[in-house]
Amino acid sequence: MALWRPVSGQDTLRTYGPRFGIDLARFAYILADPSELGAEVSVDFEIYRNLYPVIELGYNSISDSQDFFKYSASGIYGRAGLDYNLINLKDRSQHHTFTFGARYGISMFSHSAEDIYIPNAYWGDFVSDSYEKDLRGHWIELVAGVKAELVPNLFIGWSLRYKFLLNPDMDPQVTPHMVPGFGTGGEDSTFGFSYSIFYKIPLLKK
Amino acid sequence: MKAPLLFLVLFLLASSCTTLEPCDEDSISEMVASFKTETGGSVIDTTVSALTVYGIREGQSIWLLYDSISESEIFLPLDPHHDFSSFVFQTGEKTDTLTLPHSSEIYLISYSCGFGNQFNLETDIQYGTGMFVKDSIINPIVNTSLEEEDIHIWLYF
Repeated sequence: MALWRPVSGQDTLRTYGPRFGIDLARFAYILADPSELGAEVSVDFEIYRNLYPVIELGYNSISDSQDFFKYSASGIYGRAGLDYNLINLKDRSQHHTFTFGARYGISMFSHSAEDIYIPNAYWGDFVSDSYEKDLRGHWIELVAGVKAELVPNLFIGWSLRYKFLLNPDMDPQVTPHMVPGFGTGGEDSTFGFSYSIFYKIPLLKK
Repeated sequence: MKAPLLFLVLFLLASSCTTLEPCDEDSISEMVASFKTETGGSVIDTTVSALTVYGIREGQSIWLLYDSISESEIFLPLDPHHDFSSFVFQTGEKTDTLTLPHSSEIYLISYSCGFGNQFNLETDIQYGTGMFVKDSIINPIVNTSLEEEDIHIWLYF
C-alpha cells in the first residue's frame, strides 16, 4: 500500500484512516500574546460516508500581571463530536471537505491569584492572601471548517467555532479569566478559530 | 444549503465580538442605610437633618464621612480589616455609635478592575439608646456592585 500514491481523476478509490492534526494557530497566539501558551492536537476518521467523529485534546495556560494582582491558570481539555461533510465530490478519491459539526468540551484546570491589593481610601488599603481553586468547565461548540488535501493524505484547514459555556458560574468568587479550550471564562459564549495541518494514515482503500 | 450555513456562522461571529471592558467600578464596598420611622404600625421614610457621621478606625483617629447633611439614606463603606465596622452618628444634641458585625471575603470584580471585598452583614447590630430605635437588615450582602434601588439596612429613628 503506497502512502503517497498521486490522486487523479481516474482514480475512484477512496482512502480511509485516522487523520491526525495539529493546530498551528496556537503558535501564532503565542507570538501575539506570550502570556498565553497552548497546544492542540486532533484525530478524526470517516466512519461513514461524509461523517467524521472527532476527538481534540489540548493544553492552555496563562500567566498575567495586572495593576493590583497577578493571575495564572492552566489545564488540559478535550472535545468530542461529529463533523458532517457538505461537499459531495464526484471523484471519490478526492478528500476536500467543508464540514459542519458540533462538539462537547470539558476542561480540568486550576486558577490562582496572588499579590492581591485592594485600594481603600477610607479604611486603608487591603492586601489579601493568595487565592487558588481547581475547576472544571463544560461547553458545547458549533463548528464549521474547511480541509483541503494539498497532496495525498496531507491536509491544511481552518475552522470557526461558536462556543456556549454550560457552567459560567463555576467559580462565583473569582470568574476564571481563561477556561482552557473554551476561552474567556467571563463570557457565556465566545468564538474560536483554528488553522491546522493534518495527516491521514490511509489504512483502508475502497 | 451550504452558503446559508456559512453565512450563519459568519453572522454569529460578527454579532458577538467583545472586547475587555475598561474598569468603571470602585473597589470600595458601601452599605446603603435607609432611615425610617414607625408610626401607628406603618413604616415611612424619614429625612434626618444636620446629620454628621464619623468612621472609627481601631487604633487610629476617627474620620469624617458626612458633615451636617440632611438625607433619608446614606452610604457607609465597610471595614475589610476587621469583622465589624463602627460609625458615630451625631444629629443636634444626640450622639450614637453604630457597630455593624460582618464577615468578608475577597472576590474578583472584573479582570480589568481587580479584586474587591464582599461583606455579609450579621444580625447582631449594636447601638446605644441615644438615637436609633431598631434596625432591620434588608439585604445582608454588600459588595462593590451597587444598583440605584439597593438598600442593605433600615435604621429606625
